[in-house]
Amino acid sequence: MPATTKKLPWQPFHRNDMLPPKPPPPATTGVLGWLRRNLFSNWWNTLLTLLGLWFIWVVASSLIEFALIKAVWTGEDRNACLPKDGVEVGACWAYVNAKFNQFMDGFYPADQEWRYLTVYAVGIALLVPLLIPKVPWKGLNALLLFGAYPVLAYLLLYGAPSLGLPIVETTQWGGLLLTLVIASVGIVISLPLGIVFALGRRSQLPVIRFLSIAFIEFWRGVPLITVLFMSSVMLPLFLPEDVTLDKVVRPLVGVALFAAAYMAEVVRGGLQAIPKGQYEAAQALGLTYWQMMGLIILPQALKLVIPGIVNTFIGLFKDTSLVSIIGLFDLLGIVQTSLADAKWSTPTTAPTAYLFLALVYFFFCYGMSRYSLFMERHLHTGHKR
Amino acid sequence: MSTTSNNTSAIASAASTDELAVQMIDVNKWYGEFHVLRDINLEVFRGERIVICGPSGSGKSTLIRCINRLEEHQAGRIIVNGTELTEDVKKIEEIRREVGMVFQHFNLFPHLTVLENCTLAPIWVRRMPKKEAEEIAMHFLEKVHIPEQAHKYPGQLSGGQQQRVAIARSLCMQPQIMLFDEPTSALDPEMIKEVLEVMVELAETGMTMLVVTHEMGFARQVADRVIFMDQGQIVEMNTPEEFFTNPQSERTKLFLSQILH
Amino acid sequence: MKKIVALALGALMTAGVATAANAGTLEDVKKKGHVQCGVSQGLPGFSNPDDKGNWTGLDVDFCRAVAAAVFGDPNKVKFTPLSAKERFTALRSGEVDLLARNTTWTMQRDTELGLNFVGVNYYDGQGFMVRKSLGVTSALQLNGAAVCTNTGTTTELNVADYFRANKMQYEVVAFEKADEVVKAYDEGRCDVYTTDRSGLAAQRLKLKNPDEHVVLPEIISKEPLGPVVRHGDDQWFDIVKWTLFAMINAEELGVTSQNVDEMKKSTNPSIRRLLGVEGKFGENIGLTNDWAYNIIKHVGNYGEVYERNVGPKTPLGLARGLNALWNKGGIMYAPPIR
Ligand SMILES: Nc1ncnc2c1ncn2[C@@H]1O[C@H](COP(=O)(O)OP(=O)(O)O)[C@@H](O)[C@H]1O
Ligand SMILES: N[C@@H](CCC(=O)N[C@@H](CS)C(=O)NCC(=O)O)C(=O)O
Ligand SMILES: [Mg+2]
Repeated sequence: MPATTKKLPWQPFHRNDMLPPKPPPPATTGVLGWLRRNLFSNWWNTLLTLLGLWFIWVVASSLIEFALIKAVWTGEDRNACLPKDGVEVGACWAYVNAKFNQFMDGFYPADQEWRYLTVYAVGIALLVPLLIPKVPWKGLNALLLFGAYPVLAYLLLYGAPSLGLPIVETTQWGGLLLTLVIASVGIVISLPLGIVFALGRRSQLPVIRFLSIAFIEFWRGVPLITVLFMSSVMLPLFLPEDVTLDKVVRPLVGVALFAAAYMAEVVRGGLQAIPKGQYEAAQALGLTYWQMMGLIILPQALKLVIPGIVNTFIGLFKDTSLVSIIGLFDLLGIVQTSLADAKWSTPTTAPTAYLFLALVYFFFCYGMSRYSLFMERHLHTGHKR
Repeated sequence: MSTTSNNTSAIASAASTDELAVQMIDVNKWYGEFHVLRDINLEVFRGERIVICGPSGSGKSTLIRCINRLEEHQAGRIIVNGTELTEDVKKIEEIRREVGMVFQHFNLFPHLTVLENCTLAPIWVRRMPKKEAEEIAMHFLEKVHIPEQAHKYPGQLSGGQQQRVAIARSLCMQPQIMLFDEPTSALDPEMIKEVLEVMVELAETGMTMLVVTHEMGFARQVADRVIFMDQGQIVEMNTPEEFFTNPQSERTKLFLSQILH
Repeated sequence: MKKIVALALGALMTAGVATAANAGTLEDVKKKGHVQCGVSQGLPGFSNPDDKGNWTGLDVDFCRAVAAAVFGDPNKVKFTPLSAKERFTALRSGEVDLLARNTTWTMQRDTELGLNFVGVNYYDGQGFMVRKSLGVTSALQLNGAAVCTNTGTTTELNVADYFRANKMQYEVVAFEKADEVVKAYDEGRCDVYTTDRSGLAAQRLKLKNPDEHVVLPEIISKEPLGPVVRHGDDQWFDIVKWTLFAMINAEELGVTSQNVDEMKKSTNPSIRRLLGVEGKFGENIGLTNDWAYNIIKHVGNYGEVYERNVGPKTPLGLARGLNALWNKGGIMYAPPIR
């Protein structure tokens, strides 16, 4: 073929004027665009969206009807919440109102309530600034929260006659107060303990490694309910006659150790994700083992497993409800016990009680979950790799 | 096994131990069955710059990592800075304080800023006041030409910048010996140059350096000695001129012919 | 499960691990300054906290009566809520001095488990509840019925025995929690609801229209509920036992919390002995002679306690039935104080 007739299948091209940026076509941004793209992009999606909306409507409307519209807000006893002319009423909030004090603190003496309210107030005052990254003095704050605060909380909650605070025995603690005590002590103990056992499991020393594995696998291998049952039923039989371990301390230790075992595995996952080079660089600089772990490895590893840690916290918080089977009146226990009061027995008392429980537990667990998401994002923007 | 025995050392050596930064005597190491270091004997004099080269898997990294106990040797003796490496953790930490190391993959601490990377060890290991540590850190960051990056995180820097931070981080401990394990192998060509420049400048200060590298230009320019390793053994050791112009061993010749063209 | 726990406990006890607090309970109690009483975690009419958080109920009042007998003060008592499972261990280990937790007196518990039942403070028994509209008047007409009950309880076994003995067919609908059972029954998922009669009365309050339901006359099991102490301390056993008997005797003798001060002037020798005006009955069991006076004055006689907690005027509305005195058509009977 003669070269002159050969024609390129493309045109040579060059540009001198650069294109300015243009806005995207309408209805792919903004609320409408989002709706169209995500919910109504084709007939099948539209159908699913409508089905979903219908489902939400059915659930939400009956819930609203029960919890708000047909609810009974005031009353002295069960008569207020009995069916009216054969028609069942909604939630019996009058009952929650009558029992509210008990739900909050169990049998804590009424004239001493200021004590645990003070503990709450100081706790919030110390915890909130610690949780907000921007607030300075984190070290001092943490020292106060984890050092001074537990002592204060103990003195206030349990009492100290020498300070003019009469003793309030733990058997009188209950309701949300007890749930929060067990959960927060469990959380505060299980994280450091879990870290120690996670490190132990990766230790070079066989004895430490073996002990750590034994601990972790033991506690992971038994159901919490068994642990609690053992601690309340069997433990007293083995202890000497005059040694009686406090009825609240027993499950407290059980819950904390149980959570520590799970925490250890979560932390171990984080440790495994840290590259070998980080250890080597730290060692090469002459850091000791604990310096290396505390300054280099753990800060990175823990950050990686924040979702897992918070997950364990949430699990622990909900697991505290199991202590109600060993005769402790945590929030679940006291609410269930109140159902036995014939004064308030009605067809809607139990549903009301469980709705109330669900709302309280949801408030705390959802709060933790949101905070963990926030923390994850916050730490992420700090220094992306 | 006796530890530091100074001048009365039983080691057959031309030099007194005072002049020696590192002394390796009949060092052997195995990974399981695999004999990775075989009868290594090496004396590094203070202020000396040694380049180690050799094919991949020949044991170069293992050799220098034995010097700061990132790897443990199983036979023979290693004496660093007058202290013999044993199981003794205190001795190991003592040696690591005096021996800096730069890795192929930088291994900066990603959760700390550049400045914090540099001040961490002086503050925690040397117990230096924070202010002083920061002054020293800025001094060395200037030496590696990136003082303006001090408050960034490692993830925000280029590879070459990261490696220079890693060098500064090691220097902040003011070590007597510096180990480099292929410091430029993970870098793009234009970044290799900036790192090598820093290393040349460091060499000019009289630092004792052991450098595993394939940068033969660097070896020619600064090395007092070049060591060629293969199959866990030192195959050839000579001055750079002799090594490059007049290699003795067949293996060295083969290796040089492969990398120099 | 129950059996295993019982066996384990039995084994532990014979091994002598827990020879806890055998003798000297009275001294211990006096030293502590209160009676530690094991109760339920909430059982309507027997032990449950009221709106103010005060424990109330038939069993609770019995605990208060023991405190009144020992200290002359019904408030020197602390309550330990116990689950059905842990109740016996708590007593064995000395965690509680006394168990008043609607516990059925059985031979195995009285002997093998190392416990002593001091008597019966409520005669219960398993019964049936049905819809009036069913037109059934006797449990023997329940052939083919669907029966709602709790899983894994003696109630379930009792009902099986009863239907088999009477050659009737039935279908069981069982749930874990009482609240689930009553809901299922109310929704018509079964024809019959069976549990202890005191439980039936309590659960009935949760029905939408309690009036549309009726409890059938048949009682298919004996559930004598009574306070329990541990083996090995006869003095304490006596005190608790005679606290119960004093309450029953007081009712029989017409002594109430209202008239007890008057009654001290009574010429009836039985009343004089009961109230410590004559004899040294209190001192003989390690108490003061006005021990029974204190019980009646501060807690009341058995009838008062019954009416207050479970009687017809309470939401539970349980008629006396078997729990009436022996001379009033029931079987409540106490040995005389003499
Ligand atoms: N931890 C280890 N376990 C087993 N074998 C290893 C280990 N580290 C290195 N090796 C082997 O030892 C040999 C030498 O490794 P290395 O010193 O890293 O070589 P170089 O740095 O010269 O490339 C290689 O064959 C490598 O596969
Ligand atoms: N009287 C029987 C049953 C006692 C019992 O456990 N009753 C159940 C209800 S029928 C109960 O106490 N439930 C509430 C609770 O466990 O707290 C016994 O002694 O075994
Ligand atoms: Mg290498």
